[in-house]
Amino acid sequence: MLTLNNVNKIFENDVHALKNISFNVEKGAFFVIIGLSGSGKSTLLRCINRSIRPTTGSIIFNGENITNLQGEPLRKIRSQMGMVFQNFNLIPRYSVLKNVLVGTLHRTPLFASIMGNFSKADIDLARYYLNIVGLSGIESQRADSLSGGQKQRVAIARALMQNPSVLLADEPVASLDPSTSHSVMKYLKKINEDLGITIICNLHFLSLVREYGSKVLALKNGEIVYQGLPSEIDQNWFKKIYGEDAKEVEIN
Amino acid sequence: MKKNFILFKGLFLETLIWSHSALILKKVFYEKFILDIRYLTFNWNEGITCILFGFLAASIVYFIFPKASIGRAVYFKIFRSTEMDFFSRPYFFNGLFHFILTLITSLYISQVSLREFFSREGLQGAQRIFWSLATPNFAIINETIFSAIETIYIAFLATILSIPIAFFLSFFASRNLVKNSLFFRITYSFLRLFLNLSRSVEPLIWAIIFSVWVGIGPFSGMLALWVHSIASLAKLYSEQIEAIDEGLVEAVAATGAHPIQIIWFGVVPQIVIPFMSFTIYRWDINVRMATIIGLVGGGGIGTLLMQYQGMAMWNEVGLLVLVIALIVWFMDFLSSKIREAIK
Repeated sequence: MLTLNNVNKIFENDVHALKNISFNVEKGAFFVIIGLSGSGKSTLLRCINRSIRPTTGSIIFNGENITNLQGEPLRKIRSQMGMVFQNFNLIPRYSVLKNVLVGTLHRTPLFASIMGNFSKADIDLARYYLNIVGLSGIESQRADSLSGGQKQRVAIARALMQNPSVLLADEPVASLDPSTSHSVMKYLKKINEDLGITIICNLHFLSLVREYGSKVLALKNGEIVYQGLPSEIDQNWFKKIYGEDAKEVEIN
Repeated sequence: MKKNFILFKGLFLETLIWSHSALILKKVFYEKFILDIRYLTFNWNEGITCILFGFLAASIVYFIFPKASIGRAVYFKIFRSTEMDFFSRPYFFNGLFHFILTLITSLYISQVSLREFFSREGLQGAQRIFWSLATPNFAIINETIFSAIETIYIAFLATILSIPIAFFLSFFASRNLVKNSLFFRITYSFLRLFLNLSRSVEPLIWAIIFSVWVGIGPFSGMLALWVHSIASLAKLYSEQIEAIDEGLVEAVAATGAHPIQIIWFGVVPQIVIPFMSFTIYRWDINVRMATIIGLVGGGGIGTLLMQYQGMAMWNEVGLLVLVIALIVWFMDFLSSKIREAIK
């Protein structure tokens, strides 16, 4: 459903962030991207949802070339990709429900959205997805009163509101403690399995990758150094990806 | 090439400093203190001669005593002493010399006179006016309160009317929102220039302009505060917009939202509270400024102050000063309370 062909990204300051990236993500996969900080993981995700444009190469999403889209067609494509972030990026002073409804902006008329008039169906849907991520009953609380794990689950519900065919997660658990990390990852897995939404997820910890990922891609200095099954990453591969001095730590 | 340019810059600075000192040595120290000429005149030949002398002195210091050169100390780090005491830095004495000359000149130009400050008549006058101010005349209390209320209303209207315009302009004056489009970048530059220009004109000057335009009175005072408030608020607002967390903007954009929705859900929630706080603070400032603007006929308590001051009715002025102080204190208190409450 998503194919990247020879994608390169060179920033204005001449940093060559992605080098000849080609891969294919199948529908329903839990696709994990790993690598050190600065290896290009975030840049790659931002190229996929086209908040930045690749310098060369092409991105094919559901059979459509989205590499050079702009304006309304691009917004339509972006509405089909949900995204969650390391810092949650919720509106702190808004209620949980209103934060989740942000995911419907692309299909809510401009004026109605500014007046806060969301459709009854969308409000019901927001309650439904809040229930799926285990947050029913807190919809009128302010987003800044929640804990980190709850915030990330609200962010997941917001992404689900877009009715996406793929969910991009940029280090979704990097600012959470280990047990909360597992809880958030389990919800992502549940969405992947129960709703059939493809997930592309940047992760730090190999133990999480082995537990949740179905496919893995490793980046180092903007290049692909490994592609395959998580279970096949052994000690040698680990050292190749993370450097000779690295030591694997468990997260549980 | 680059080193030569720095060499030139250092010499230029040194020349500037020495030319200035040559000029004041000639005019103030020689003509005034030694010859004691009553009325000093100036012609440009003198100025050019001083620059030549300055250049000569600067060249001597710069090339023969490089360690004493201020120009070298500023532009060549190598000539800066790493010692902690002043005496190991010859350029310090060079600078001290010019500093003392400038200080003496400024004392002379300001006509500082301790004799007048402590003269018998002067002290008696001060005692008289302080006493009058300290015994305010409450006979005019009604008049004073009404004009004080006028001042607060003028300031309130100026603030309220400036909010929508400043709010609208601030989005176009924020670098982070305009960076993606050439058209908006150009708008940004012009807008910034326009805002800076209208902000650098004091409200007092605006009051004079508007008093010619719409006539002397509260309306011209309100307009003066309005123009100045638009420029200041737009600047404060846009700086707040530039300081927002881009993550939320990215998150809203990633849902496929329209640019206006991105602003409304990604930017506006982050800036509403600081905007309110700035605006209340601005009202506070406007009340204080309305008093000053009243001095040139902008209405309110300032105009009243000007009238009684002109008639040398110091007890009445005393009451006005007291009321102004109370308003300023109260507005300050109120605005800090409100700003705290909406945090």
